[in-house]
Amino acid sequence: MKMIKVKGKHVVLSLVCLVLGFMIAFSYHFTQKELNKKNTNLTSEQWEKTIDLRNQLIELEELNRKLQKELNQKQDKVLANEKDLSKEAVVYSTLAEDAEKYRMFLGKVKVKGQGVSVQLSDGAYDPEEENINNYLVHEHHVFKVINELYISGAAAIAINGQRLTSHSYIICNGPVITVDGIQHPAPFVITAIGDPDVLAAALNLTGGVKDQLVNDNIVFTLEEKSEIVLNPILGQS
Amino acid sequence: MWLPLLGLIVGILLGLLTDIRIPEEYSNYLSIAVLAALDTLFGGIRAHLQNIYDEKVFVSGFFFNILLAASLAFLGVHLGVDLYLAAVFAFGVRLFQNIAVIRRILLTKWSKSKEKLEKN
Repeated sequence: MKMIKVKGKHVVLSLVCLVLGFMIAFSYHFTQKELNKKNTNLTSEQWEKTIDLRNQLIELEELNRKLQKELNQKQDKVLANEKDLSKEAVVYSTLAEDAEKYRMFLGKVKVKGQGVSVQLSDGAYDPEEENINNYLVHEHHVFKVINELYISGAAAIAINGQRLTSHSYIICNGPVITVDGIQHPAPFVITAIGDPDVLAAALNLTGGVKDQLVNDNIVFTLEEKSEIVLNPILGQS
Repeated sequence: MWLPLLGLIVGILLGLLTDIRIPEEYSNYLSIAVLAALDTLFGGIRAHLQNIYDEKVFVSGFFFNILLAASLAFLGVHLGVDLYLAAVFAFGVRLFQNIAVIRRILLTKWSKSKEKLEKN
């Protein structure tokens, strides 16, 4: 009985102690936390340090801004340069195209395309005709055909497979004609790259080249071709 | 004997380990309650030493004083009067008185026992 009584007393006391301990500890804990919080408020030293750091930060930010501006300017410059470069690139590409074209005209590269082929052959021997020249193909006949072809837009022309360039020359050399120093006998096959319809029409004009040549007793054969390959001139600068 | 001590330790541990956040304006109530608890505790000790200790009075006083102090502080906040100061004052004075009484009783007991030892 006494034992139970003592126990009950102790239980009550321990309960009281528990509450007390809890309250004290909690209060202490809480106050410590608040103190920690208040410690974030600044003493003058910390204040000065903060201001110092803040000033440093401001300085750095200003520097940053300055550098950023510089960067922007530089980027603008780069952009401008790039634009220039792209313009130059365009110029270069047109130049390259031009160079390609000119090379083609100069006969430095192989060209391929639609075109026409004209064959000029000497006329058949006619015993009535005293002058043999009247049924031979002369260089002026070839000239006529070539000029007509160039006028009507031929991009490249070859005689018997030899390319003509801007400074080619054709001379009459007795029974043969000489093209750039190479002699060619009749029949002459003149191949021209260009719009075949236009070229053929130009040659076939009434009273035009074909009629004139036929009047001079020359056998004139015109052929439209879907693909002609002209080889470059080799061994020449 | 060990049970109350155990209770105290468990209470302290609980108080330190719990991470309950209470608003700052309630921290006053808490401190008042702690003060009341301490006051009652020392009152109990004094009563024990004076042989007028009554458990019922002690326990009821312990909890009642805590509640009373807290509610007084609460009322003070709502009335705009710093009533918790009154509680602090009252408990503080009583605390000191109680401790003084305990000290005197302990002193007299100590001197008596010394005399006894000397006689023997």
